[in-house]
Amino acid sequence: MFQHIYINRLKCILRDRTLVFWTLVFPIVLAVFFKMGFSNLITAESFHPFPVAVVNDSAYQKNESFRSTLKSVSEGKERLFILTETTKETAEKLLDDHKIFGYLTVGQKISVTVQNTGFEQSILRSFADSYMQTASAAGSILSSNPSAGKKLAESLKKQLEYTRETSGGSAPPDKTLNYFYSLIGMACLYGGVWGLKEVNDIQANLSERAARVNLAPVHKLKMFTTSMCASLTVHFSEILVFLLFLRYCLNIGFGTKTWLVILTSFVGSMVGLAFGAFVGAAVKTDSEGIKTAVLFGSSMLGSFLAGMMYQDMKYIISQNAPIIGYLNPVNLLTDSYYCLYYYSTYSRYALNMVLLCAFVLLFGTFTYFIIRRQKYASL
Amino acid sequence: MVIKVQDLVKRYGDLLALDHLSLNVEEGEVLGLLGPNGSGKTTAINCMLSLLEYDKGSVEIFGKPMAPDAYDIKKDIGVVMQNVAVFDELTVLENIDYFCGLYVRDREKRKQLVKEAVSFVGLDDFQNFRPKKLSGGLLRRLNIACGIAHKPKLIFFDEPTVAVDPQSRNNILEGIQRLNREGATIVYTSHYMEEIEQICSRIVILDKGAVIADGTKEELKDMISLGETITVESTDIQPEYAEEMRRIPGVVSVENGNGRLVVKSEKNRNNLENVLEFLKKHSVAYGRIYTELPTLNDVFLELTGKELRD
Repeated sequence: MFQHIYINRLKCILRDRTLVFWTLVFPIVLAVFFKMGFSNLITAESFHPFPVAVVNDSAYQKNESFRSTLKSVSEGKERLFILTETTKETAEKLLDDHKIFGYLTVGQKISVTVQNTGFEQSILRSFADSYMQTASAAGSILSSNPSAGKKLAESLKKQLEYTRETSGGSAPPDKTLNYFYSLIGMACLYGGVWGLKEVNDIQANLSERAARVNLAPVHKLKMFTTSMCASLTVHFSEILVFLLFLRYCLNIGFGTKTWLVILTSFVGSMVGLAFGAFVGAAVKTDSEGIKTAVLFGSSMLGSFLAGMMYQDMKYIISQNAPIIGYLNPVNLLTDSYYCLYYYSTYSRYALNMVLLCAFVLLFGTFTYFIIRRQKYASL
Repeated sequence: MVIKVQDLVKRYGDLLALDHLSLNVEEGEVLGLLGPNGSGKTTAINCMLSLLEYDKGSVEIFGKPMAPDAYDIKKDIGVVMQNVAVFDELTVLENIDYFCGLYVRDREKRKQLVKEAVSFVGLDDFQNFRPKKLSGGLLRRLNIACGIAHKPKLIFFDEPTVAVDPQSRNNILEGIQRLNREGATIVYTSHYMEEIEQICSRIVILDKGAVIADGTKEELKDMISLGETITVESTDIQPEYAEEMRRIPGVVSVENGNGRLVVKSEKNRNNLENVLEFLKKHSVAYGRIYTELPTLNDVFLELTGKELRD
C-alpha cells in the first residue's frame, strides 16, 4: 500500500508544473539575477589604477624623494596611478581632453590640479597630502636631530601596520553569501506548497478528491504520512538540485562541511513541508489560492527579515529584536549555512538546528490535531 | 438488509438538513433518492458514508454500524461523487488504478479490474489521456470508473449525470443498470425524475430532509388522487369551453393557454372519450391529442404543493 500511494503521489507532484516552477525554477532564476546583480556591484566596487600626470620640470627632477615615491605607487599589480611624466602644457591638454584625472606639480609644495571632484581626484589629493605630511615630519626630525637620518630613512622604508586583520573562520569573507543563503531558506519554505497540496488532498472538506480518498479502507494518517514522504522526497531533491546549481553554476561557497550542509537542507525541507501543511490545515478557507498566497507571503516576509533583499536587515533584527530572528525559519536556515561556512565551532549552528526541529514538531503537531478529524461538520 | 438508517438528524446551524430520516435498502435494489436541490439527498449520503457528523440517529451498512474506521465495510462500498473527483496529473488509467489500488492490493487482480472498468465506461481509446483533455461526458465516465473499479457490493451515485450530454447520460444509466444486474446494490440520487423512473426499483422522495414518500414508482403514483392528463393541441378553443369541460364528471382541472388545453382527471377515470365528444360537438379543429399517466413530479406536487424542480 505504501508503495502504491507513494509512487502515485510522486507522479502527481512531479507533473504539477506550476508548483515545480515555484519551488525549483523560480529560486534558480532569482539566484541567477542575484548573481548578475552582485557581479556588477563587485565590479563597481573594485579599484582600478587611473591615469594621472606629473609635470616633468627641474623641480621634479631635483626632488628625488618625491619622484621615487610617485614611481613606487605607479608600478606593480597594486599600483594606484598610470603615470605620465610630461610638460605642464601637455598635462593641461591631457586634463582638458579628460585623458587624465589630474596632474601634480612640484614646487614649494606638491600642488594638485584637477577639473572635477570625484573618487580618483580625492585619491590623488590624499596621496599628495600624505607625502607632504611625511616629508614635513622627516624634515622636522632631521632639523632637531641630524644624526637620526639613517634610522629615519630605514623606518620610512618600512610600512608598519599597528592593527592586524584576522578572520572569524577558515573561509574567505564574502558579503554576498547571505543573500544566497536566505534564498535557499526561501526555497525551503516555498516547498510548503507540497505540504499544502497534501492537506488539500486528504481533508474531505477541502476537495472532492480527498472525500473519495477518505472513503477508501485506508487509515487517513497512514495515507497522509505516505503522501508527505513523497512530497519530502521531491522537495528535498529540489533543494539539492538548487544547492548544486548554486555551488557549481554560480560558484557560491558553502565551506567544507558538506554533510552538514545537506543535513541543514533536509531539515529546511521538512520545515517547509510542515509549515505548508500547517497553513493548509489552519487557514479556514476553501480557496487554495488564498492559502498559497498566505504561504508565499509569509515565506517572502521571512526572507526579507533574513536579509534576502537588504543584507543589513538580518543584523538590524538581531540587534533590536533577536526574538524575531529566532522565530523566523528562513533566518535560522540562513544563519545555519552561514555558521557552516564561517565558523569552526558548532554551538550557534546547533541552536539553529534545534529551533528548526522544534518548528517541524510544532507545525506537525498542530496539523495532526486538525487533520486527525475523520468526520466533518460540513463538506 | 444492506443499509439501515434510523432517525437521522443533521443540522447546519439553524437549518435542519435531515429531519429524522429513516430508510432501508435491500440487497439487489436500485434505490432512488429523489428530491429538489437542497432537499438533503447529498447530506443523507455523506452521513451514511460517515463523512459528515450528524446530531442524532444511526447508520448500519451490511448489518454493522458505519464509522470512519469501519474498513471492513468500506472495502465493499463504491462512491461516485456529484463533482468529478480525480487527479488532473494522472492519466485515465493511472487514476482508475490509483483509486482501485486503495481497495485491492494484489497487483495482477487490480490490473484486470482496471481493464474491466475502462471497458465498462467505454474509455478504452482515452486510457492515456489526462482528465483535462476529456470532454465533460468522458470525465463523468472516468469519475464513475474510479468509483466502481474495485467491484463494490454497494454503490452510491450522487447525481452522476449533472451537466452531461444526452448520449453520455444514457451510457451512464445503462451502465448503472448493468452493475445492478451483476449484483451490486445501488443508491442513486437525482432531481431528474425521468432518470429515477427509468432505473430505480424503489424510490424515496425527500423534501426538507424528510422522507415524504417511499415505494415503487407505481406505488407512489397510486398514492395520489390524480389520474390521466389529456392534452389537446389546438388554436380553436374558446375560453368558455374550459368552463364547460370542467363540468365533465371526474375532471379535476382544465387549463387553456398557449394553444394547448390540458385536462386533468381523477384517478381511475378515463375521460378521453368525453373530451373527444366535446370537441366534436363544438366542431373544434385540433392538431394532436395525447394522454399521460401521472409523473413523479405530479406526485411531488400533490404531496408538497410545489414542483420538483422549483
